[in-house]
Order: sequence, then C-alpha cells, then structure tokens
Amino acid sequence: MAARVLQQCVRSFARPSLRLCTRNVAVRATATPAVFIHRPLSFAAESPRTRLFGQSRYGDLPPLTLETIKERVMYVLKLYDKINPEKLQTSSHFMKDLGLDSLDQVEIIMAMEDEFGFEIPDAEAEKLMTPEEIVQYIADKKDVYE
Amino acid sequence: MATTFPLCADASSLNPDRDKYRFYACLLRARFDENKNEKDMVKATLMLKAGEEEFWTNQHPQPYIFPDSPGGTSYERYECYKVPDWVLDYWHPSEKTMYPDYFSKREQWKKLRMQSWDREVAQLEAETLPGGPRTEALPPARKEGDLPPLWWQDVTRPRERPT
Repeated sequence: MAARVLQQCVRSFARPSLRLCTRNVAVRATATPAVFIHRPLSFAAESPRTRLFGQSRYGDLPPLTLETIKERVMYVLKLYDKINPEKLQTSSHFMKDLGLDSLDQVEIIMAMEDEFGFEIPDAEAEKLMTPEEIVQYIADKKDVYE
Repeated sequence: MATTFPLCADASSLNPDRDKYRFYACLLRARFDENKNEKDMVKATLMLKAGEEEFWTNQHPQPYIFPDSPGGTSYERYECYKVPDWVLDYWHPSEKTMYPDYFSKREQWKKLRMQSWDREVAQLEAETLPGGPRTEALPPARKEGDLPPLWWQDVTRPRERPT
C-alpha cells in the first residue's frame, strides 16, 4: 500500500503537462485515487475553486502563469514613484535605462518579495537588473512553465 | 533582501498596512540618501555601524518572516514529498510508456551527464579555494561547450510544491 502511494506521488511529481491544464475534477480523481484516499480530506467537497481551475487547491493561491507574473511585476514597478511608467519596458535596465540607484534596486527587489511572498537571497537579487530577469527568476523559483 | 534592508523589514513588521509602511520606508530612504555621497570611508563605516546598532536596539520582537523562509510557517513543509529523480529509473515500463517523449530524451540526458561529469568535477576542484568553498553559489561554466558544474541536480530538481 505504501509502495502504491509512493508510486502515485512519483507519478504526480513527474507530470509536467497535467499540472496547469484545466481538466475537470472527475478525470483527475480517477487518475490519482490513492492520493485522495490517503489524505484526510474533510473539505473534499467540490468547491467553486476546484471547478474553476480544474484542480484541487484547497487553501492555496491560484496557479501562477508567466503572463500574470509579468503583469504583477510591471504593476509593482509602475507604482514606484522613481520610475516613469511611460518609459518602462520589460527590457529596461534599472541602472542604465531608468537611472536608478543600487538602493532603489534593493527596494524594488524587496517590493517583489512582498508581492510574491517569498524571499530572494541577496547574492541572486543583486543580479536582477531588468523586469524580464525578475520574471524569469520568479518563474524559475516557482516552477512556472518549466 | 530583508537582511540587507533590515530597517525596512522592521518598518514592514511594525506597519502591516501597505501605505503606512511605504511612508516610513520613504522616510528611512531619505535618511540614507542624505549621506549617500560620503566619500570618507572611515566615516561611512562608522555611520553603517551606528545604523546597525540602531536597528538592533529597535528591532521588532516578532518580525514577519515569509512562509518559505527559515523560521516561517511553511519552511521545508513539502520537503518530504520531494522525490529525487533517480526514482524515475525504477518505474515499470508500462508506466514509462505513459510519458514517451520524456523518457526517450531521458537516456540522452543521462549520457550527457556521464560525459560532462569529469569536466564538472575538474572545474570545481580547480576553482575551489584551499580552505573550502565560502558560499553555496556554484561557478558558471568557463569553457565553450562545457556545462555548468552540478547542472544535473538543478535540472532534475523536484517542484517547489509537489502535488
């Protein structure tokens, strides 16, 4: 029984194509019966969220996509008062194109941390100099369209 | 980044509302900006030391820690569900046929890994300092056509939230 559960866990681990597709709950339930049985699902009733995203996400945020990450990053950057929203592009370098400071870059990365809810270590944060790089880093960390 | 800007992180713990936090963060930033053109390094280090002491005396007793950071609520919560990639080699062939394109490429990737392993180890041995490595950061690939050292464990790492 434990081996079967591990099998199901491994199968769900190496299933990149199924993760973000919107299959309905019935198909997913038949595909992973053992996982559903072994988890104590007191709130296993179909909530609107499962029907909406086709996956069981009980207390979690909606899944990230590259477009939503990009929109959120650009939104946060446009809110920063030292950046001109008209001149902001995904490829605009903070120091060269937008004329920002290294302290400003630190502030921007902190705002990104607060927006996405996870910490970015300093060594990797000082290399993120364009919004495009930030989007790629977040997508790398959060396994979005890997 | 909360470590390099601990005063800001402090302000964010003290002022959970975004607008109030932003106000105090701007005030802090103005204080930094007053002294940013200091050329005298001795004075600058003294100011930095004074700033760190000020942070230490005024820090929040329960600072907000992100869930996935050490000390946070979901730190290492999903570690037990992260399966290493060598388990895939133990799948039954009937299960492997469910993902034919992945497994057809997997053998090629493994061969590539066998070939590049010696070069990766040689590069790491050449580049490590005598007293041992100082950081966890791995160096990039230096030569043309070489792969970065220990690339396999990064490429086949499990997902952040294994479902």
